[in-house]
Amino acid sequence: MRFSFRIGAGPLLIRGILKPSVQTENPSAPTDENPSTGLSDPERWVETHGDYLFKFALLRLRDAARAEDAVQETFLAALKGGRTFAGRSQEKSWLVGILKNKICDHFRKASRETSFTDLGFYAEEEGDRFVTEGAHEGHWISEIGPCEWQKTGESLDNERFWQTYRDCSAKLPEKVAAVFTLRELDGVTGKEICALLGISESNLWVMLHRARMALRRCLEANWFAKEK
Amino acid sequence: MEFLKKTTEALKTGLRTLMPSCRQVARIQSDALERPLGVSQRLGMWLHLLVCKWCRRYGRQIRFLSHAAQEHSDDLTGCVPQNLPAEARQRIKQRLRSQGK
Ligand SMILES: [Zn+2]
Repeated sequence: MRFSFRIGAGPLLIRGILKPSVQTENPSAPTDENPSTGLSDPERWVETHGDYLFKFALLRLRDAARAEDAVQETFLAALKGGRTFAGRSQEKSWLVGILKNKICDHFRKASRETSFTDLGFYAEEEGDRFVTEGAHEGHWISEIGPCEWQKTGESLDNERFWQTYRDCSAKLPEKVAAVFTLRELDGVTGKEICALLGISESNLWVMLHRARMALRRCLEANWFAKEK
Repeated sequence: MEFLKKTTEALKTGLRTLMPSCRQVARIQSDALERPLGVSQRLGMWLHLLVCKWCRRYGRQIRFLSHAAQEHSDDLTGCVPQNLPAEARQRIKQRLRSQGK
């Protein structure tokens, strides 16, 4: 089964990602008086969806203890919400929706304690790959400019490509990674990210630019230039 | 003949001042994913991309990475090697059991 934030869930979930947690404690009031979420049901949730939710949280929070907490809160909120579903993929989407809110809550709280602006990372912006003087200052040095990427479509279906992608994005420092993941993986809009993390749009654009630059270079070095 | 030479020289310098560097174009192409560009930025970028294959590649590549991540975020999540640790699993089940009562 393929589950995608962007395509599958549409704007509803993306809007939902920023709702305060109070609302998500009870995503929709159960109208039926027949709570089939008996004891066994939530425990089955943990068996069926626990690993996926944990991976999901760990990729975004980058800390096992935090990810465990987020998963636990998700299941507890789901228990309160007490809904039943026709299929497991629907159930999974619902749980992921709650988890996204928990992750956003974490970032919102963290941004109150520390600034999420990071203008130090990659400030040199690949300075070593650009001509530094003369008429061509600021131009790519021909021999080490971006190379042609082969078989981009095939890469998308290759698990090892995604491992490389993950390894490269794991090298981004924490705050840049948070911004990058919200924007590029989860498709949250720039305005929403700025509101969530309390950073300015112009700083967000700088951070995204540098993150893309670093990721592009890392994937080129570790995947596209290697394959040949 | 002299006139023609001078005009092409002037055109070249004119274009050079109008045309952003590769470094600037890298930034502009990332910004283009975030917001509508101004007229002069768009024009400068367009002129630059006409003549620079490196920047055309760069732009293609960052757009590819951006779309790929959004459409395959599930693949990325799936390749995280760690699973929910056993103790956490037990703890969460216990919490759920006590809450469910
Ligand atoms: Zn260029």
